[in-house]
Amino acid sequence: MTELTKSDQGPDAATAQSAVANNTAEPAPARITQWGEIRHRFMANRLAVVGLVLVALLFAIAAAAPLIATHDPYAQDLTNTLADPSGDHWFGTDALGRDQFSRIIYGSRIAVVVGLASIFLACLIGCVLGALSGYFGKAIDSAIMRVADIFFAFPLLIGAIVIILVMGRGVLPVIISLGVFSWATVARLLRSSILSVREMDYVTAARALGAGTSRIILRHIMPNSIAAVMSYVSFSVGTAVVAEASLSFLGIGVSPEVPEWGNMISSARDFLGVKDFLWAYPSAAIVLTVLGFVFVGDGLRDALDPKLR
Amino acid sequence: MGKYVIRRIGQMVIVLFGATLILFACLFVLPGDPVGSLGGDKARDPAVIQQLRERYGLDKPLVEQYGTYVSNLVQGDLGEDYTQRREVTEVLSPKLGNTAKLAVAAIVIDVVLGILAGLIAALFRYSFWDVLVTLLTTMAIGFPSFVIGMILQSQFAVNLGWFPLISDGSFNSLIMPAFTLAIIDAALVARLMRGTMLEVLRADYVKTAIAKGLPRRTVLLKHVMRNSIIPVVTYIGISFGGLLGGALITEAIFNWDGIGFALVTAIQQQNNPIIVGVVTYGVAVFVLLNLLVDLLYAVLDPRIRLS
Amino acid sequence: MRGAKSAKWVVGAIVVAMAATACGGGSNDSGKGGGAVFRLGITEPTAIDPVNAQESEGTLVARQLFTGLYGVNDDGTLKPLLATSSKANDKGDEWEFQVKPGTKFSNGEPVNAEAFIRGWTRGGAKASASDVGYHLDNIVGYEDLHAGKSDKLTGATAEGENTIKVKLSKPDFEFDKKTVHPVYSPVPKVAGAGDNKAFNDAPIGNGPFKMAGSWEHNKKISLVRNDDYALQKPAVEKVEFTILNPSNAATLEYKGFEKGEFDWARMPTPQLPVAKAKYDPQGEWIKFDSPGINYILTFQEDGPMKSADARKAISYAIDREAIAKGVFQGLQEPATAILPPTFKEVYKADQCTSCMKQDKAKAKEYAEKAGLKPGDTIGFGFNTGAGHEEWVQAVAKQVEDVLGVKIKLEPLPFKEALAKQQAKGTTGLWRQAWSADYPTADNFLTPLLSTSGINPDAAGKAQGDNRGRYSNPKFDELLVKARNTKDAAERTKVYQEAEKLAIDEDQAAIPTWKRTQYRLANSKKFSGLKLDFFEDPNIAEIGIK
Repeated sequence: MTELTKSDQGPDAATAQSAVANNTAEPAPARITQWGEIRHRFMANRLAVVGLVLVALLFAIAAAAPLIATHDPYAQDLTNTLADPSGDHWFGTDALGRDQFSRIIYGSRIAVVVGLASIFLACLIGCVLGALSGYFGKAIDSAIMRVADIFFAFPLLIGAIVIILVMGRGVLPVIISLGVFSWATVARLLRSSILSVREMDYVTAARALGAGTSRIILRHIMPNSIAAVMSYVSFSVGTAVVAEASLSFLGIGVSPEVPEWGNMISSARDFLGVKDFLWAYPSAAIVLTVLGFVFVGDGLRDALDPKLR
Repeated sequence: MGKYVIRRIGQMVIVLFGATLILFACLFVLPGDPVGSLGGDKARDPAVIQQLRERYGLDKPLVEQYGTYVSNLVQGDLGEDYTQRREVTEVLSPKLGNTAKLAVAAIVIDVVLGILAGLIAALFRYSFWDVLVTLLTTMAIGFPSFVIGMILQSQFAVNLGWFPLISDGSFNSLIMPAFTLAIIDAALVARLMRGTMLEVLRADYVKTAIAKGLPRRTVLLKHVMRNSIIPVVTYIGISFGGLLGGALITEAIFNWDGIGFALVTAIQQQNNPIIVGVVTYGVAVFVLLNLLVDLLYAVLDPRIRLS
Repeated sequence: MRGAKSAKWVVGAIVVAMAATACGGGSNDSGKGGGAVFRLGITEPTAIDPVNAQESEGTLVARQLFTGLYGVNDDGTLKPLLATSSKANDKGDEWEFQVKPGTKFSNGEPVNAEAFIRGWTRGGAKASASDVGYHLDNIVGYEDLHAGKSDKLTGATAEGENTIKVKLSKPDFEFDKKTVHPVYSPVPKVAGAGDNKAFNDAPIGNGPFKMAGSWEHNKKISLVRNDDYALQKPAVEKVEFTILNPSNAATLEYKGFEKGEFDWARMPTPQLPVAKAKYDPQGEWIKFDSPGINYILTFQEDGPMKSADARKAISYAIDREAIAKGVFQGLQEPATAILPPTFKEVYKADQCTSCMKQDKAKAKEYAEKAGLKPGDTIGFGFNTGAGHEEWVQAVAKQVEDVLGVKIKLEPLPFKEALAKQQAKGTTGLWRQAWSADYPTADNFLTPLLSTSGINPDAAGKAQGDNRGRYSNPKFDELLVKARNTKDAAERTKVYQEAEKLAIDEDQAAIPTWKRTQYRLANSKKFSGLKLDFFEDPNIAEIGIK
């Protein structure tokens, strides 16, 4: 669990910050290469392929959940609560006799939605502000970075509670609160990356050729700055799922009847040492998801940045 | 240098006021009356509610409440908490020390474990060890820390009896919570270390050093390590703030009387002065640490000029 | 129930009987087993000074430090402590108490009528802003005192050294029972005002134990035996309360007991069956039906629960037996009345017909009468993190399956939950629990179900505890009648009649589970350990093996 610390900001936030202080650091002159070449490099990386399989599997399970699940994930059976894993209930049943296997299968849907959507939101805000900050510098940069500092230092929990209480409980408020509190990392990351790319020859050239600001940012700077963001993002999809579990643990996540991995783990905590399968399976699902996205992220970064091969 | 520090402190003040202002606004919109009930389901005597609202200025508009907070803060006064009616500074100061102790211990573990693991993974890239490190770090992130903490607790405190169950602040009782708290960040440090080391290993100056025929160990220690450690230092600067504010689950499991847990309890009780107090301390520590980290860069890397 | 004793769940409702006199045998070995320490975990209390001691943890400590007029026996009857006699006039609005002469506080000050009145005045005074002061509100002069217009509780006067005379604003033949609350404790002169911080953290009292040093906040409270105690001296020499954080307290208590660090412990609900199998054979397992009730609150001013038939439909649709077995693993029992069985005199099982057994046909029949249609949405709120998640989901599902309605769960953190319950216009259902302040039926029926228990403010917010806003003049009349009835047996009958009207005919609330408590107790070292009327260990009464 990320404990709602800022630790889920990911390691690359640090790279970003060091680059902030280190404006003289060597730039990364990665040219955008042909997609075919990138794909080739990616597929040559065994771990990346494993990751891709895991992620694809997750999406497939989420899409085909009703076909895979053996039971109705909401159906209770009070005569068969806390049953150990068996032929009928592969992963056992929970305190209300619901089939754990089916709940984990259905849980993949929320994991996918929460993981992707919250990171997408974070990226959207982060990329826009980070790009503005990095490209324009000076007062705009200073203002945006102070706001980012505030978000770094502000306790996620309080922000999340306010958002969830104002919007009502559900998946959307969870997505928004996770997104709103992780954009700062993306912004810093992109900003520092842009700082190093901005003065590159090809950007100067584009500017000399009369390209507009937005065109320069979108066409020339972003593609070359995105590698660092990609790797952070892939990592964060996993941590977002865990962070969702922290919200459930604290009683402000999605409603308890919803089959969601974090929910399942947090309701299993009192059964620790008595019914360990209750938390072990959903935890394993989270670990596999995180693993898949991490491998893909590493592979992508390596593929996008040939220097690292 | 002096100018730089002053400017940074100026920024810190801005961040501090920004964060607390947002916090005040958040607390203001939260439904529920902070002094509306006793500890639980029972409604409070309306006359007492009225009295407490006056006492804590809760009937005043948001701006005025914030103004009072600022003018008190300047005098080092964080007010009185709503439940026990004790001075917030008095309530929080032992907790702050406890959490700091825990966080420092966790960071030592982070650095040692994380750097070692990252080093091994980078030096033997795509080997068995690299994959193992990736697997372990992902598991550290994927398993909720309350699961890790509770397993540690029942194994080492209850079954084996190596450590005290209820923390008493001693070194012995610090080990398990510090380890639980450190695991996630150690994993992140390991990944970070691996990434930056791979980059540095490929840098021209390292290639030159190797080409010059310097011993491998010298190159690793003098060039690679020194340069790879900078992002790690940055990350720790960021994470320390998080550790201080967010050790709540670890603190709850091991009964560690720190501010992370105080924050959660205060949120549940809407004990606003405690929430504001914790955030004030947390933001101040966060910003100060990041200043220190930036100053540390200059020591680690002479190329960096503070500007 | 998980975390049942946490402040979130039981709340400040617990008054503590002074458990000082050991009536049973086996505790005449004080002095023997020198240095016997009783160790247990509690959560940080709001206050241990009787002026504001409110939740079970605070009153547990306060009653070790202070002894008042009366305590309570297990069956809800009064147990005289410092009172040697009491009598009410025929109207029930004047009381006279005789205090046991010649006893002292641990600092040597005398415990006399004046000391009692000092304590009561301190509890009601404006400066104290006490959360429990309202327990004194029927005494003449309370309002002026509480408003700060006077510094005297004029209705309570000392006559001679040891006689307390009390004038009440409204007749109350059970006023003596109210004095079991710690706010009715005597205090010495050194106590000063209610906000005297030095005294708040190290109160000086007349109880079986006294403070050993000050309260170490969030860490520890240590007590030692008061060797000048006025009643039977305890055998235990020291009591150590280790302060645990509320979110994990039950787990830590349980593990601490297993490790031998505590002599008394609660357990997380899921661990109960395992713990029972292990400790029951060793005689270290304690079960107690405590004076509380779990029920479902129904909002009756508006929305789907407006009609009694709708409420009956819900009640009939719940299979309490199945939940007791499946979710609570047989460790909680269905309730069929709103008064707890602990009140032996007034308790009557099966007061609520619809609670007795799930009846799908009747449920549908009542739903139809009430106009509840399949597809209708009914909100069902509960406070999170207090162990209600599972059974609430089970109830919701059963109601959905039987009636075809949609139950929308609304989990909220406590303060927000309370605000929602109090607000005008809230509809549907809410999980609720109540625990007794004093051993009287009135303490359940009046705050929870009477019209005066609503107490709306100008904006319509319910300030009282009757948040469902049930209001039936006939029921109110019965309560007034009961309060004015001097004969106890006669009074009991009136209360039962009132209960039947509210819970059966009107189905104003839907009882769900009795409040059964389980503890682990170190019977290898101590004898006679049990839960007292207020769910606390009887520390002062136990013997040492």
